[in-house]
Amino acid sequence: MIKVEGLVKYYGKVKAVDGVSFEIKSGEIFGLLGPNGAGKTTIVKILTTLTKPDAGRCFINGFDVIEKAYEIKKFIGVVPQENNLDRDLTVYENMFIYGKLHKISQLKEKIKDLLENVGLWERKDALVSKLSGGMQRRLLLARALLSDPQVLFLDEPSIGLDPQIRRHLWEIIKRIKKQNKTVFLTTHYIEEAEALCDRVGILSKGRLIALGTPSALKQSVGLFTVEYTDKEGRLKLWTFKTKEEAYEFAKKNELPVIIRETNLEDIFIKLTGERIE
Amino acid sequence: MMDWYPVFLRELLIFRRRLLKFGYLLSAMMLPIIYFIVFGLGLGRMVQMEGKSYLGFLIPGLVAMTSMTNSYTWIANSINLNRLYFKTFQVLYLAPISYSAIIIGEVLAGMLKGLFAASLIIVVGFLTYPNFGLSIPFLLALLLNCFLFASLGFLVGMSAKGHEETATYFNFFILPMGFFCGTFFPIERIPEFLKPVVFVLPLTYTNILIRKETFDTWSLGCVLVLVFYCVILFGLGFRVIKNYSE
Repeated sequence: MIKVEGLVKYYGKVKAVDGVSFEIKSGEIFGLLGPNGAGKTTIVKILTTLTKPDAGRCFINGFDVIEKAYEIKKFIGVVPQENNLDRDLTVYENMFIYGKLHKISQLKEKIKDLLENVGLWERKDALVSKLSGGMQRRLLLARALLSDPQVLFLDEPSIGLDPQIRRHLWEIIKRIKKQNKTVFLTTHYIEEAEALCDRVGILSKGRLIALGTPSALKQSVGLFTVEYTDKEGRLKLWTFKTKEEAYEFAKKNELPVIIRETNLEDIFIKLTGERIE
Repeated sequence: MMDWYPVFLRELLIFRRRLLKFGYLLSAMMLPIIYFIVFGLGLGRMVQMEGKSYLGFLIPGLVAMTSMTNSYTWIANSINLNRLYFKTFQVLYLAPISYSAIIIGEVLAGMLKGLFAASLIIVVGFLTYPNFGLSIPFLLALLLNCFLFASLGFLVGMSAKGHEETATYFNFFILPMGFFCGTFFPIERIPEFLKPVVFVLPLTYTNILIRKETFDTWSLGCVLVLVFYCVILFGLGFRVIKNYSE
C-alpha cells in the first residue's frame, strides 16, 4: 500500500530525513516511533504531499506521491499533529466544508454517523473554539474519516491528551483498523505504539534504526530488562532473552534493580543510548 | 468545475460570523470614514475639483481605495495566518481539488469583502452627494480592482514568511498607493518625478476608470492595464501554490 525508498529531506543544512526506506501492507497499523525532532512529521508531510523530498521516492497505492499528488489526495485522510480545525466555524460547519472539498455524497448522513461515533453529535452547533482539547482531537479524526480514506495518517494523534481520553481515542483507532483501513501513525508514546501497531519503525535523527513487529523487535534485544541506577546516578539497562538470565544478573548486582518486560523504549535506548522524550 | 465553491463558502461563513461582531466592521470601515469626514465634509467644502464639488471627486476614489485595502488585507492575512499559524490552509491543499480552484475560491472571497466595504462607501455617497451615480466604467473598475488586489493578497499571503511581512507589504505598497494614485487629488497634480512611479501602480488606472462617466479610449486602456495586472498576479499565485512545499 505504501512504499518509501531512500527518502531524504534537508531543512537548510539539517538533514531531517536521512535515507529512510520501508513498506506498509494494506490493512496494517504502522507506527513510526521516535523522539521529538526525529523526522516523523516530515515523513508524514512528504507522504501526504505537503512537503517535497530532496531525494527518494514514495508510492501510495502505486501512485507516485510527487507526480500524482492529486490522485493520492483522493484516498488519504490526515490527522495532523497541530489542530487545524477552523476555530471560527462550528463542529458541523468544519465537517460540511471538508465534505464539500472532498466531494462526499450523502454528506449530511455521513457527518451525523461520524459525529455520533466520536461522541460529538450533541455539540454539532458549538464553535470549535469552545471545545476541549480532547473533543477537538476527536473532531479531527472524524473529519479525516469523512472521505472514507483507504489510508489514514495520524501524526501524534493523542499528544497532549489525558490518559482516559487517550484510551478512548485508541478504541476509535482500533475500530478503524477493523474496517481494513491502512493506518500510518507517528508517536513518541511507547504505550501507544505497543497498544495499536502491527509493526513499528524506530526513527532517530532522521534515520530508521529498527523495523518490525513490537514482539520481534523485543525478541531481537531480549524480552526481559533489568533496570537500575548506578552509583553515579546514571540509568542502566540490561536486556536478557529469558527471565532466569535476568534474575541471575540481578542477584549479582549489589544495587536495587527492577526486572520487567522489555518495551519499545528499551530498544530505542539500546540502539541509540538516548531516551524517547 | 465548482471545486472552488467550498473554498469560497468557508471564507463566507467566517466572514459572516465576524461581521456579527460590531467592532470588526467598525475597525474595517474606520479609515475610509475618517477620510470621508476630514477630506470630504471638512476640507472638501472649500475645494472645487474638475468643475464639480470635491465630494463628487473623492467618493469614487474612496471606493477604489476601500475595495483595494479590504480585498487585499482579508486574503493576505487569511492565507498567511491560516498557512503558518492555524494550518487550516493545509486542509484546502490536501483536498482533491485543483490549485486554481483554491485561488479562485480565495480571490472571490477577497472580492466579496472588497465589494461589501465599497458598497458601504457607495451608500454614503448616495446619501451625501446628490449627483453620485454608478456608471459602467465605475462598476468595471470596482470589479477589476477587487480581483486584482485579492490576487495580490493571495500571492503575498502565500509568499510572506510571517504575519509582520504582510503588514510590511501593506505599509510599503498598499498604503502609498492609496495616497499617491489619485484617490484624494488628480494624478496630474502629482510632482513630475513621482509620475513614472504612479503610472506603474495599478490603483492609478482604477482611479482613472472609476471616475469615467462613459466608456472611451482612455477607459479601454485602463481596463487593459488592470486585466494585465490581474492575469500576472493570478498566474504568479498559481505558480506559488503549485510549487508549495513545507
